[in-house]
Amino acid sequence: MSGTDYLNDLFALYPELILLATTLVVLSADLFLSRRAKWLLTPLTAIGLLLTGIGCLFVWGVNDTVFNGFYRVDDLAVFLKVASVVIGLLAVLFVPAFLRQRSLPLGEHNVILCFALLGMFTLASSADLITLFIGLELMTMPSYILTGFHKTDRYSNEGGLKYFLLGSFASAILLFGISWTFGLTGSTNIADVARALSGQALQPAHIVAITMLTVGATFKAAAIPFHFWTPDAYQGAPTPITGFLSTGPKLGAFALLIRIFAEALAPLRAEWLVVMSVIAVLTMTGGNVVALAQTNVKRMLAYSSIAHTGYILAALAAFAGATSSELQRQGLEAILFYVLGYAVMNFAAFAVVGMLQRDPRRYGGLGSFAGLASRAPGLAAAMAILLLSLTGIPPTVGFFAKYYVLVATIDAGLAWLAVAIVLNAALAAFYYLRVVVYMYMRDAEDEPAAIEESISGTLGLILAVGGVLALGILPSAIVQILRASASSLL
Amino acid sequence: MSGLPILSLIVFLPLVGVLALLVIPGDNHRAIRWVALAFALGSLAASLALLGYQTDGEEFQYRESLAWIPSFGINYLLGVDGISVVLVLLTTVLSVVAIVYSWRPIQHRVKEYYATMLLLMVGMLGVFVALDLFLFYVFWEISLIPMYLVIGIWGGPRRIYATVKFVIYTLVGSLLMLVAILGIVIANASAGNDFTFGYEALRAANGAYPELLQALAFGAFFLAFAIKVPMWPFHTWLPDAHVEAPTAGSIILAGVLLKLGGYGFLRFAIPLLPDAAHEFAPIIIWLAVIAILYGALVAMVQPDLKKLVAYSSVSHMGFVMLGAFVFNVQGMQGAIYQMIAHGVTTGALFLLVGVIYEQTHDRQIAHMGGLNARIPRYAAMFGLFTFASIGLPGLAGFIGEFLVVLGAFQYSGLVAAATMLVVIASAVYMLWMFQRVFFTVPSDWMRQFWPALHDINRGEWIALAPLIVLVVGLGVFPGPILHAIEAPVERILDAVSTSGGLAILPW
Repeated sequence: MSGTDYLNDLFALYPELILLATTLVVLSADLFLSRRAKWLLTPLTAIGLLLTGIGCLFVWGVNDTVFNGFYRVDDLAVFLKVASVVIGLLAVLFVPAFLRQRSLPLGEHNVILCFALLGMFTLASSADLITLFIGLELMTMPSYILTGFHKTDRYSNEGGLKYFLLGSFASAILLFGISWTFGLTGSTNIADVARALSGQALQPAHIVAITMLTVGATFKAAAIPFHFWTPDAYQGAPTPITGFLSTGPKLGAFALLIRIFAEALAPLRAEWLVVMSVIAVLTMTGGNVVALAQTNVKRMLAYSSIAHTGYILAALAAFAGATSSELQRQGLEAILFYVLGYAVMNFAAFAVVGMLQRDPRRYGGLGSFAGLASRAPGLAAAMAILLLSLTGIPPTVGFFAKYYVLVATIDAGLAWLAVAIVLNAALAAFYYLRVVVYMYMRDAEDEPAAIEESISGTLGLILAVGGVLALGILPSAIVQILRASASSLL
Repeated sequence: MSGLPILSLIVFLPLVGVLALLVIPGDNHRAIRWVALAFALGSLAASLALLGYQTDGEEFQYRESLAWIPSFGINYLLGVDGISVVLVLLTTVLSVVAIVYSWRPIQHRVKEYYATMLLLMVGMLGVFVALDLFLFYVFWEISLIPMYLVIGIWGGPRRIYATVKFVIYTLVGSLLMLVAILGIVIANASAGNDFTFGYEALRAANGAYPELLQALAFGAFFLAFAIKVPMWPFHTWLPDAHVEAPTAGSIILAGVLLKLGGYGFLRFAIPLLPDAAHEFAPIIIWLAVIAILYGALVAMVQPDLKKLVAYSSVSHMGFVMLGAFVFNVQGMQGAIYQMIAHGVTTGALFLLVGVIYEQTHDRQIAHMGGLNARIPRYAAMFGLFTFASIGLPGLAGFIGEFLVVLGAFQYSGLVAAATMLVVIASAVYMLWMFQRVFFTVPSDWMRQFWPALHDINRGEWIALAPLIVLVVGLGVFPGPILHAIEAPVERILDAVSTSGGLAILPW
């Protein structure tokens, strides 16, 4: 590879380079800014992320593989990167107030966050299983640190440690699966793997490889029965950071699932279809049933995020069950739309829980929501819209996301999966609406928790709720983009 | 489409009202009430333009069409036929009544209350005018949440239990209906047609779907609409919801929300899946007969005035279901007429129960008695609507019940005889209630309120007036409405009469 080729390849990495530059600038700025000027890190990171997002536009439509088949810049990757940037921006807006209140360092948070985003970028763009694994580790290492970010809080430590131990274990299993795949196909390049697999008869070794990859990948996505780390990690982490953990690494996990299952293992679709459907139903039902029993909103949202994973896995099953490439594309579109919509609504919901947690003794109990509608009507209305969206009531993004998954599953001939989804949605309505009951239909506690107000948090909430409604009312705005993204894979 | 988008105006004026309410300060109750009333009246005025509906014209008039989510064949498609027109008018009238009635009783969180009521209007009106199944579903769900809030925030002591039960029941049904809608749309697309949610396109393709799908989809539609109607044995949310709801909430709930279920059957379930409707009709008819009987018998033993009216609703809505599924012109026209009459009559009864409840904060029949002597005008009005509810000729209730029984008689003499007996039972529970409340001697409990008890006041008269006019008008001049719904009813029946059966079903 000559020098000019190398430079040409670098052009495809615009977004990554800008993101890296942002990370380094924030890291150095943190060193030089005085304590009182630290707040400048928020706009600085936000601008960097916005530029990264703009950088993504330049590589839209490139659809090329660079660096000797290691890195793929297709529209699917670009879409996932833009979604990652959205998550990053929400994190930058929601987290500072929470950290300031507890004297935790903002600069370190932003830098670690940017590294995690870089990992998500790499995951989304991986054309080789090795790149994929590096991206995964680059994403999860910062996530472990973020979970334990509240150093003096023992729950935060516990969550971080649990996440780290179990996460490393899952990474090892995934890597083991990758090596089996390499043994079977003689390549780690995803396209080559798919080509090699399509010519092979099914052997026990394939089953081992699929099993290992499934376990590793569904662990990262927090699907039942590999979800045990989730509630503790989510509950221990500082609340707005939980918002990031439940959306960012989740998006990364689905990028990984798409790259491994929808691309490398696509020829074995019929084999993993059943497994994926069963995991999907287990995950959505299990997540909802346990969420139903929670009285702590933070923990409830943690379990409900497991349920949402189930819905997205159903879309992946729809991809596998599809009989034509058009229907396969629809399954992928559903995954992408759901991941984006879920990220915005779920992150914002966690952020609201965080805003009500000013008093460190309170951990998002239902009581802290009591009477919120009369104490802070705007905040209560925002939370109500987010909860309705999570339930899947129109006209919100959560409804259209469910609609997308339902269309994909029914179209793929998996109507029973669609029925499982809607019954679960009704189940979920019960606990989501319970929070609405507390906010609107009960009186406040004697000493209601003070509300964490900040300009950036309010801005983030306005943007998120606006996005939830806008995408719910006019989803056609991005359907074409989804279509292009999904077809770049097929 | 030319000129004003009249249907959009009717549906979205209340939404503009919600936005207008947001900028008014929350403590300016007077302004909030007037603005809410103004927008509701605006919607009512716009809906009066629908009186220009041509009964011999096109099937759907005042059409509006805009591309919404083109890649999924989803359009913003509105249009009304005779059935929609009468239900839209019922909705706008009852909404205004509810808003006027709430003037005094609602004193806390006034702004949220009126915003919620206006949002409720948007959902209900949208359901009646949507001609795209996706759009219909969206409006259907939008009508759910405001009612949830109305009962949950402004309701009685057990309001949270009641409202959660209401939402979960309805949501289970409606989500399964969503799957059914998608199933139909996808089956239609895979039969070589466009992927579309358009009502007329899907209706034209009926019978092209696999039989299993038809049976299951009808089952899902049935569940969604039967819960809403509500039909025995899916009615258990209704008494709870009614007892806990504030008066205006009950007026809308009984007056309009239950009709969404009946409308759903007539507009969607039957015409889209005529074969399945044909096959399931006998079962539904017997469930309806049970509902009519059960509602009447349970109403007889209710100690609570509101619960009594609620159970009488179960009985009356049973007539609607019976009329809709005997599949003849009289029955179906009677069903629609009964929906309108029940909306007016029961709405008024709930309003009147509210009048006494506001003064005594109690609804126990045993606690009343002798009210005729103290507040005679109230007694007279209550009597009027009691008789309308029983089905006295000359008042609204008679026409619908008579037509339904006439239709049922053509179907089976046994069914007709059973329902006819219930008409007598309804006279028993209503008149017995009336006697215990207004005649006999006042209870000791009631005597403590005796001096302060006031008759219907001016605001209540204003709210009641349109209902009085309607209950008599509908009873004496059924012609215009029957005429308006005749052609749509015949279209539905044409579809059913030409339908084959489903071999897949065991009967």
